[in-house]
Amino acid sequence: MTDAENTRSYKLRIWRQPDATSSGRLVDYEISEVGADASFLEMLDQLNENLVKKGEQPVAFESDCREGICGACGVCIDGRPHGPVTHLTTCALRMREFKDGETIVVEPFRANAFPVVKDLIVDRGAFDRVIERGGYISVNAGSAPEANMLAIGKDTAESAMDSAACIGCGACVASCPNASASLFVGAKIRQMALLPQGQVERTGRALAMVQQMDAEGFGDCSNHGECEAACPKAISIENIATLRREYLRAAFRS
Amino acid sequence: MSAPRFQLWSSVGKKLLTGVTGLALMGFIVTHLLGNLNLFVGSEAFNGYTEALHQMGALLIVAEVGLAALFLLHAISAIQVWRDKKKARSIQNSVVATKGPPSKQTAFSRTMIITGSILLAFVILHVAQFRFGLFGGLEYKTMIDGKEVRDLYRLVVETFANPAWVAGYMAVTLLLGAHLRHGFWSAFQSVGLLDPQLRPLAYSAGGVFAVIVALGFFVMPMYLFLFATVNP
Amino acid sequence: MDVEIVDGSLHSGAPDGPIETQWDRHRFDMKLVNPANKRKYNVIVVGTGLAGGAAAATLAELGYNVQNFCIQDSPRRAHSVAAQGGINAAKNYPNDGDSVWRLFYDTVKGGDFRARESNVYRLAQCSVNIIDQCVAQGVPFAREYGGHLANRSFGGAQVSRTFYARGQTGQQLLLGAYGSLMRQVDAGRVKMFARREMLDLVVIDGHAKGIICRNLVTGKLERYVADAVVLATGGYSTAYFLSTNAVNSNATAAWRCHKRGAYFANPCFMQIHPTCIPLSGPSQSKLTLMSESLRNDGRIWVPKKKGDARPPADIPEDERDYFLERRYPAFGNLVPRDVASRAAKHACDEGFGVGATGLAVYLDFADAIERVGHENVKQKYGNLFDMYEEITSESPYERPMRIYPAPHYTMGGLWVDYNLQSTIPGLHVIGEANFSDHGANRLGASALMQGLADGYFVIPYTLGNYLAQTTPGEATTDDSAFNEAEANVRGTVDRLLAARGKKTPREFHWELGRLLWDNCGMSRTSDGLKDTGAKIRSLRDEFWENVHVAGSGEELNQHLEYAGRVADYFELGELIAIDAYHREESCGCHLRLDHQSAEGEAVRDDENFSHVAAWEHTGDLSKPRMHREKLEFENVHLAVRNYK
Repeated sequence: MTDAENTRSYKLRIWRQPDATSSGRLVDYEISEVGADASFLEMLDQLNENLVKKGEQPVAFESDCREGICGACGVCIDGRPHGPVTHLTTCALRMREFKDGETIVVEPFRANAFPVVKDLIVDRGAFDRVIERGGYISVNAGSAPEANMLAIGKDTAESAMDSAACIGCGACVASCPNASASLFVGAKIRQMALLPQGQVERTGRALAMVQQMDAEGFGDCSNHGECEAACPKAISIENIATLRREYLRAAFRS
Repeated sequence: MSAPRFQLWSSVGKKLLTGVTGLALMGFIVTHLLGNLNLFVGSEAFNGYTEALHQMGALLIVAEVGLAALFLLHAISAIQVWRDKKKARSIQNSVVATKGPPSKQTAFSRTMIITGSILLAFVILHVAQFRFGLFGGLEYKTMIDGKEVRDLYRLVVETFANPAWVAGYMAVTLLLGAHLRHGFWSAFQSVGLLDPQLRPLAYSAGGVFAVIVALGFFVMPMYLFLFATVNP
Repeated sequence: MDVEIVDGSLHSGAPDGPIETQWDRHRFDMKLVNPANKRKYNVIVVGTGLAGGAAAATLAELGYNVQNFCIQDSPRRAHSVAAQGGINAAKNYPNDGDSVWRLFYDTVKGGDFRARESNVYRLAQCSVNIIDQCVAQGVPFAREYGGHLANRSFGGAQVSRTFYARGQTGQQLLLGAYGSLMRQVDAGRVKMFARREMLDLVVIDGHAKGIICRNLVTGKLERYVADAVVLATGGYSTAYFLSTNAVNSNATAAWRCHKRGAYFANPCFMQIHPTCIPLSGPSQSKLTLMSESLRNDGRIWVPKKKGDARPPADIPEDERDYFLERRYPAFGNLVPRDVASRAAKHACDEGFGVGATGLAVYLDFADAIERVGHENVKQKYGNLFDMYEEITSESPYERPMRIYPAPHYTMGGLWVDYNLQSTIPGLHVIGEANFSDHGANRLGASALMQGLADGYFVIPYTLGNYLAQTTPGEATTDDSAFNEAEANVRGTVDRLLAARGKKTPREFHWELGRLLWDNCGMSRTSDGLKDTGAKIRSLRDEFWENVHVAGSGEELNQHLEYAGRVADYFELGELIAIDAYHREESCGCHLRLDHQSAEGEAVRDDENFSHVAAWEHTGDLSKPRMHREKLEFENVHLAVRNYK
């Protein structure tokens, strides 16, 4: 099956916004000869090539690795972050998921904590600032003990890895009706809380990261669980339950 | 890193508060439902039950104030969550849709603030109506074991002789069910009690719980309307 | 294509004496910066991948003021994040005979004897500290049931020394470094500059003292000054258009340093990864790599009959050619990357390729599923199989995967000495951006090792040695060198925007990529290479005449960013072709068809080519000057790589 035998046309409605301070609007485009195996971003690449050739401004969108791990890409497609398929990044979404002739609405990951920079690009610096406040174990290079001094149960390591798999794309925030970052923050707190290395700073980490999360203007969580469905790495809202436990625990330890 | 203190009114603190108060309120609702089963038995049983509560004296006042506090805290924290939600996304995308399972987003989860607000208004009305006799009936008395006690049963039965009250109460019980559909499992999640094994259980149990509680309260006004009479 | 060749001009500065104690002795000999004085020094680190992120964090931990730059919106997205398989370390936990010496030996041999022994030995030594460091950071490596670290084996080694975190090892290691970096940002020791692209190096009195960046949000050019610059900007596989690298990975920062005087070493040493998902259509933007670990259980084959279009299941066993098992019985499907890639390309070139394009071979798991069961295969490779199915809509459980090689890693890079300093004093180059450790071929799971070794354990010492010999705060952004560099960058930007031609940068990039892939890929010929440089040159001339770049320079303009990178690929591309032409031997990842044995195996020419070719920019892109660093092999004896 090659592209030539199986191409489609789409009507696109894309959010265009020249910069952070201007207002934006949805603009209609048409595109044809899109290969079924092309990724959603490759379809946008193709649109941009057409736009440039017509002397128009290409659509700005973010992407990098294009294999679902860097977390750079992400747009809302017909109201769903990363599109209709669960547990997939936008770059891994293929056009075969869309019917020929369909209208597709493409909008940015929307949250006040993620201000739009241009078109479909948003600023997710808030995530970095939350991590800054404690999303790590403080260990200087050179001061680590021999790695196998510390036995960590296979199940514990695997469970920590489930949380550590977060790619920081922000789909959890975008999908959340409240624009909450609880899944992102919970995943990091849980990873560290599970591991013996994370115990020393456990209390302060939970308190500081939650404080920063709130300061960034993310909304509160109402347990809709939409984030878990939108998360490309299927990170469970168990992490949010852990976040609450860890925060409560900190109440008694701080 | 200077560690901040625990903040009850932080996003997570509020969630803990909503969850704890929610769990407590569900405990109250179950108790209330069980107590109200006396309505099916009859005047003596029900009035005996309410009199037993009154015999608690100061303890009852404490319980009532405590309950009021629970409702208030639950409502305030939930209203703040709702208010912060508006602040967290002032521009909404033109299309918003759910991705489906494993999302737990439903009409129930999205309308908690609406069902909750109506329930809060109802609770105030309900307490005013039956506890404080807003529309009269506070003076109804009856004799149990040779002692004069309040005849709340009569007030209840008289109230539900009116089809409008019956319809209104039945509608509210449906809203209560809707609130509990999301609220039950959500309360456990909010206090951090659910893991991937327990979550499906809690979610299913939430459905059952919501149906039982709603059904329990739902049939009462209808039963009283159809079958109950006040013994002169 | 005659070039001037200079011998004896490059000195690695590696200490003499026994290799086992070189690094210890060197660390003692290097100058130190007094702890109280460290805060007076400013260091620029460009890049936030494993090398850059680790270096920025570690230098800040030591007390230096660090300014750290990345082109992404967050340092956590650097392309190191995409490494799947694992990281090597000579821990010898499985007790199967590994040692620092063996890792050193395997790496030098795997690199086909084109790496510097002293650097590789140090790398092998540092490898053990890396694992300790990462575990302490909370990296959730795979564990055995007893709670100790698990290992797996990888191509090119007969011991199990690869540590891994599912198929996301690079991500987890990067998040470890990123955490350390963020901790230093919080402490105020690192200033983070995201969405900045380095577009020139500022050299004052012969020393690297600053950089010019384009703020990718506002489009403004910005000046940053420091006492030293550390470049950690990764490789340049994207010059080939289709590669496994991220779409924003690029050569620009390294190339602009080259044009400021840093020699570019072995640019033609390009690694082709054997297990990528093949090209499906013209809109494709990159090729997706699938972990080499698939070759542990998958069997690679093509039909014995040319152009056999039957579905794979209909091709009987005796009509299949398991060409790796046939040609290399000892290693079979686990031969090193270059051998596997070349064999696959060879099969396709001969017309045995499968799929719609004929540019693919089968990687078949039917035997593995029969042997260990569907569940076990799923447990081991489930996520890779899912990824394949997402992309191709074919299930590897039911139908063999189609794979094809793709450019993946560049062993070449800016020349550095033992201190990882380039030929510009004060400009240090770490990670994939330098050339130092992998020779002509990198073994699997060694890139992460090198990036972290450079960042955590080498540059913190060697940069101190440089800084100790300088006075802090000497340069300012008012220096005329900054004016000149900024004007230079502005000139390039303006020129790109002014062309207003008919073709997009992407179209030019595609054409350049074809030229490089066809001529400077896995198999090369003198004939093909002879005029590749000239073809690139004429395409480059057309590019500057006829490129169309949308928008302006004073805004967020991804199209302009891309055009600038493509412009640099054209210059680098010509150097790749020149270097490839002058390396008249088969070695590492590439086969020169005029240098092969009767059986089609690569033939190295140690007598004439046991050297690093480090290219100096002369001002004329077509006439670079080659400086040869002779490679001595005193510890690992030159031998023909044999995986039969």
